[in-house]
Amino acid sequence: MSFSKREQEKLKSILRQAYQEKEKRRIDELSQDDLMHRLRQFGTIQPNPQFLTVFEEFIWQLAPVTSLLILALTGILLVLDLASGYDVFHLLMNGTEEFTWSQMFGV
Amino acid sequence: MDNDSCGPSDAEIVCQVVAGSLNAFEQLLKKYQNHVLRILKKRLPYDQVKDTAQDVFIRAYQSLPTFKGDSSFEQWLSTIAVRACYDFWRKHSKSREFPMSFFTEKHQVWLEEALSDQSSQSFHERGLQKEAREILDWALERLSAEDRMVLEMVYLEGHSVKKAACLLGWSTANVKVRSFRSRKKLHKLLSKPLKHRRRET
Repeated sequence: MSFSKREQEKLKSILRQAYQEKEKRRIDELSQDDLMHRLRQFGTIQPNPQFLTVFEEFIWQLAPVTSLLILALTGILLVLDLASGYDVFHLLMNGTEEFTWSQMFGV
Repeated sequence: MDNDSCGPSDAEIVCQVVAGSLNAFEQLLKKYQNHVLRILKKRLPYDQVKDTAQDVFIRAYQSLPTFKGDSSFEQWLSTIAVRACYDFWRKHSKSREFPMSFFTEKHQVWLEEALSDQSSQSFHERGLQKEAREILDWALERLSAEDRMVLEMVYLEGHSVKKAACLLGWSTANVKVRSFRSRKKLHKLLSKPLKHRRRET
């Protein structure tokens, strides 16, 4: 069942009146002293920060992660065996005319 | 609630507060507390109004540097108050910490009689505001925070879609669609118990 047009209008009117009634509820005024006391605890407000200040803060937030990443990569490079890579490089630089792909792969 | 012709304007007071004069904020508090209370009284449970009003003024104080003066201070504060209500209902719909009201036989009878009543007599004259308020609260409790806010602003308060969108910070299209859907949900919610009743009788 859905409401007829007339019922919808009636319902709207009833609910609107009921809603407006809520505004008439009596509520004591706010305690301004309490509120001002709470606001004083926040201290004076800071004006909107400049873009560069925000950017700088953001960059410094990334610094620990970046340092960790550098340390991790250094560790990985030290652990890796670079000798074979050096041999290939040496072959390429010194004997390019005799160098073949089969030699490179040790076949 | 325009600026007093004799005193400093709202924008001047805001400048003073931002410059460090916290006491100047008290003038804004005095001037607009009734306005904020009016917004909150309609939208929140009675016992939540004062606490939320305090939160609204705290939020306003902290956000004062963002007040550009494009709109009036009253409108800017209204936006904060409306969004505080939205936050309240969003939080409430997740926690369900308030008891839900019931749609009783008494409400069904009342609604059926009220809808079938041919006279234009308002329920003020019939002294039946209590039932209407209970029915309204029951229905609103069953809507999502988003639907509830839009329904209150557009359907119950008669604000334009544009104004509701501005106060909620949503797109006009979003408010328009939600307004239509929430009205449908409300009708469905209220017509369901009546349908059962009509079937039984």
